[in-house]
Amino acid sequence: MKRFAGWIGAMVLGVAATAAAQNGPVPIVGLVELSGPGAVSGTNFNDGVRMAVEEINAKGGILGRKIDYTYNDTQSNPGVAKALAQKAVDQNAYVVMGPVFSGSIFVSMDVTRKAEITNFTGGEAANITQQGNPYIFRTSFTQANAMPRVARYMKNALKLKSVDIIWVNNDFGKGGHDEFLKAIKADGIKLGADVSTDQGQVDFSGAVLKVKQSGSDGVFVYVNEEESARALRELAKQGYNKPRIGETTLTGQKVIELAGSAADGAIAHVGLSPDAPIPAVRAFAERFQKEFKYKPDHNGIKGYTAMYIVKAMTEKIGKFDTKALAAALHGAKILVKDHPGVLMDVSFDKNGDIDRESFMTKVENGKQVVFETLPPLHPF
Amino acid sequence: MNAKTGKLALVVGIAAFAILPLFLKGYGVYLCALFCVYLMATLGLNLTVGYAGQMSLGQAAFFGIGAYHAAILLKLGWPFFLVLPIAAVACFLVGLLLGFPALRVQHHYLAFATLGFNILVFLIMRNEATITGGPLGISGIPRPSLFGISLDADLRYFWFTLFFTVVLAAILWWLLRSPWGRAFAALRDNPIRAESLGINITAYTLFAFAIGAACAGVAGVFYASLLQFIEPSSFQFSYSLMMLLAVIVGGSGRFFGPVLGTVIIVLLPEWLRFMQNWYLAVFGFAIVALMIFLPGGLLSLPERLGWKGASK
Repeated sequence: MKRFAGWIGAMVLGVAATAAAQNGPVPIVGLVELSGPGAVSGTNFNDGVRMAVEEINAKGGILGRKIDYTYNDTQSNPGVAKALAQKAVDQNAYVVMGPVFSGSIFVSMDVTRKAEITNFTGGEAANITQQGNPYIFRTSFTQANAMPRVARYMKNALKLKSVDIIWVNNDFGKGGHDEFLKAIKADGIKLGADVSTDQGQVDFSGAVLKVKQSGSDGVFVYVNEEESARALRELAKQGYNKPRIGETTLTGQKVIELAGSAADGAIAHVGLSPDAPIPAVRAFAERFQKEFKYKPDHNGIKGYTAMYIVKAMTEKIGKFDTKALAAALHGAKILVKDHPGVLMDVSFDKNGDIDRESFMTKVENGKQVVFETLPPLHPF
Repeated sequence: MNAKTGKLALVVGIAAFAILPLFLKGYGVYLCALFCVYLMATLGLNLTVGYAGQMSLGQAAFFGIGAYHAAILLKLGWPFFLVLPIAAVACFLVGLLLGFPALRVQHHYLAFATLGFNILVFLIMRNEATITGGPLGISGIPRPSLFGISLDADLRYFWFTLFFTVVLAAILWWLLRSPWGRAFAALRDNPIRAESLGINITAYTLFAFAIGAACAGVAGVFYASLLQFIEPSSFQFSYSLMMLLAVIVGGSGRFFGPVLGTVIIVLLPEWLRFMQNWYLAVFGFAIVALMIFLPGGLLSLPERLGWKGASK
């Protein structure tokens, strides 16, 4: 009986809450790394979301309702990320944005899953979307998708027979390392030196020395932004003159700024790039630069497009129902001609993995240049 | 304040804290539970730092050892109430093993030795991926059930954690009032005099250190079950620093010092969040100011103000 009364109470409260919520702004909550090792990625992602929200609100919001975007700093700490995910649930978030670091998303996605709230993440670790969580969606490629593209480029364009790897030993790096090894094995490229480094590592002289001594045809560098710059500087210092290949981070804007001329000639596969040969993307990058006084990297685009994806799909389902939103996103295709804010045609599969075009990029004279556009895995 | 009203205030305080989460949402409940978890670890550290007078920068390592024991054994289906003592004993033994050589040096030299130990433990957690899951950590750690009642709900788990925090604190309270505890205090105040009174300094320091480690192990078990996911970076030495800070800010060597210190370390940054981008900077300044004006910690405030009857 008591239980029954409780149910009734909960239902009454629920009805009251939905009634109150139907007119006011829609709460969307960001869990982002604004301090700690993830600060560069998290700040970019967050500013991307903020910019999209500002634009959408200026044009009257979604289905006539404004968006109320609030964000909190996870300090790149999974424990804090979990607490903040709880807070987002308490705030009745329609959608949760972030975190970007995979270690944090592993913890916080459990919370949003239990509360059945659609959650976009910037994380790239392969296993995020392999746990059958119907509420988690990516904003960029997984490592399992990206690494075969990198390996194919090494084999076909660069004709590498062997390659070394310098990787960061955290959740992001470890996942990428394993996928990369699988990919080069499939393409018949031999692995030379396998050098693991620490998150936040400052001195790369030992790592680069090992790579120099291994005698392989090139090196694959898979570390976070700041460490990428340090690695490139050290490679230049020790006179390394073979191909330096990366994925996503190595030719990022922040890396180029930090590494200076040492970044010249570095090659990377990038899922999203502010220098992509797409006018809409470039225009976005310019507006972003104007607003936040720095050039966005791929994380900025992730946050921005994720917000527009929410807008597109919410308009499609015609109501603010986060469960229905998640259901509609699986298998969804969102085209730029209908929704310019998504910047590039995009589709989601049944796991919440994203698919779209990607780019091969190179650093030339302190700028990221796209020299090849790769088609999506599953053409629209 | 006499002893009787003091006790009454304590009971009322704990009861108030126990019912507080009823008025909070998930986020608040979680923070309260996290506070209890860190409190267990800092209560233990206070024994090492405050009572035995040693600097330890390895508490997060013991915290991690406890958490990994819990994660691995609970996932194998071992009962929680078996895992808890196993983790505590394991940390106690590791503490003895580490303390035996490490406690030959004192103060900041010991801090360096324990810092090295913390980094070593972190590397093992990260690199021995077959056992620890490496940098991807261990997910899906179950929460225990009590007499058939599942503790999956956050509120129930908080009460469960609070209960054990109080039990642990009571054990430490009793310990510090036993002849052993008096020996600890004698050791802290003046090691040479303590030794001349026949106290075996080496043995007592070692025990204080190992008991402190065991407390961290217990805290680790509750942490693993609270987050249901652990990964090595949660046990980096920066968390040892944070725990040491909690003990010192609260007032090391005072029983309730860590309680206040942990409130500040765990909850103050959350309260300061309204300052947006500045909250960590403000937090840092607050700690610096506190250490300059109250080097004895927050609990030394009454003495500093010259109140009568204030004592350790």
